[in-house]
Amino acid sequence: MNAIEIHDLHKSFVGFSLKDVSFSVPQGTVMGFVGENGAGKSTTIKCILNLLKKEYGEILLFGKDAAEHEIAIKNDIGVVFDDLHVPETLNATQLDKFMKKVFISWDSHYYFERLAQFKIPVQKRVKELSRGMRMKLSIALALSHHPKLLILDEPTSGLDPIIRDEILDLFLAFMQDERHSILFSSHITSDLEKIADYITCIHNGEILFSESKDVMLYEYGIFKGSKEEVSELPEHAIIGKRYGIFGVEVLVRRNDVNEVFPLEKPTIEEIMLFYVKGNVV
Amino acid sequence: MTALIMKDFMTIQRQFKSQAIFLIIIVIMSVLMQQSTILLFFIVFIVTIQAITALTYDELCNWDKYANTLPISKGDIVLSKYILSIMLIIIGLGFALPFVLLINRFTNHIATTNFFLTFCLIVTAAFCMLAMLLPIYIKFGSIKGRIVLIALCFIPSFLIGVLDEYVSNFLVTLSKLQDFSYFAPFVGLFILWLSSLISTGIYKRKDF
Repeated sequence: MNAIEIHDLHKSFVGFSLKDVSFSVPQGTVMGFVGENGAGKSTTIKCILNLLKKEYGEILLFGKDAAEHEIAIKNDIGVVFDDLHVPETLNATQLDKFMKKVFISWDSHYYFERLAQFKIPVQKRVKELSRGMRMKLSIALALSHHPKLLILDEPTSGLDPIIRDEILDLFLAFMQDERHSILFSSHITSDLEKIADYITCIHNGEILFSESKDVMLYEYGIFKGSKEEVSELPEHAIIGKRYGIFGVEVLVRRNDVNEVFPLEKPTIEEIMLFYVKGNVV
Repeated sequence: MTALIMKDFMTIQRQFKSQAIFLIIIVIMSVLMQQSTILLFFIVFIVTIQAITALTYDELCNWDKYANTLPISKGDIVLSKYILSIMLIIIGLGFALPFVLLINRFTNHIATTNFFLTFCLIVTAAFCMLAMLLPIYIKFGSIKGRIVLIALCFIPSFLIGVLDEYVSNFLVTLSKLQDFSYFAPFVGLFILWLSSLISTGIYKRKDF
């Protein structure tokens, strides 16, 4: 079963639109959702959460229509945005009291355990917490009703590598249960390389690719050479080309290229750049 | 619903503490001036401000974006603000009433019948004010909402000025309805309920 399934999602604004976005997040996996600023990541996530009304298309969460079964579905999801959107005069203890009344499955013990793990002062008001602390509190809030699906919209942006690593470990721990799934939107592709199983890339409101991370990282390769050398590569192996001052970089399917061509292992960022800025064949 | 009301009370509780000082000053003033109605007006003013403050705090932190990811219906989110407002009015009047009755007891400034008439009209005015403010703030937010509110207050004042003759006739007719003024708070509640339906409609169409 898919935790998230999106078919032909369309939403338009002045100067931007999501164009027939389709992808799915299989249950038990982490989907990395990448794209440049303004590509449509947050808009897609807002449509999934019914924060924005879609124009047409189908959004299914746990196999059910997201808008029709909104309340039941939202009992099983945890959401983390790029900031903590709660009144700044509240503190972590008051938020626990609130959440206890919102979720039947709210686990105060687990919540305070996470707060202790993250060293978040329980009586300090949200406005007195650092950005890192606020994000950790946001994650503790998203996890403490034991959701089946986490929807993360840039949760690690603006955080230092140490805090990011702690947060990623927490997501990895969440994924120990094979029924759990994560949709993780991020600019920081190195974070996704650590935890994602699949990568979906969006550009100008359109999905460029949605593939298994392992397929991309191990089956793709980058060949760097002159125009003459590149012309010797088999055409069907070439996915994309980027022309630079020192020659040409070519993203190829590793299995279709002779071993005499030295290939480098690509990163998600490089693959994304080939699709967004390069000439994809 | 309970969760949302509780959250709003926790959010504005610090405001209560700071406004308690002003409240004490007003209590002393109304005792010295032997004017119990000042206290009633002030309380209604404070509680209305508190309800709007709760909305402003929500807007500042983009609360609605978060609240709509939780298993809470949009209708409950809107209704909670109305229930919060009514609860604040009840708490406020509950606090003021003993003082008001005490002042009246020792001064006999206002006859008891007149006092309850004033009381009913103030409560009704508070309900009507909230019935107008809440949909405006929900639709436009606190900054644009203030501008819309000023415009809305200006238009009736302008019309009253222009239609002065007719308005005075209308007021005479209205004064004849004095006997029914005890029902006024119920009319106010009905208007508040209608306003909540409008606000829910506005909120359901909003994007976050």
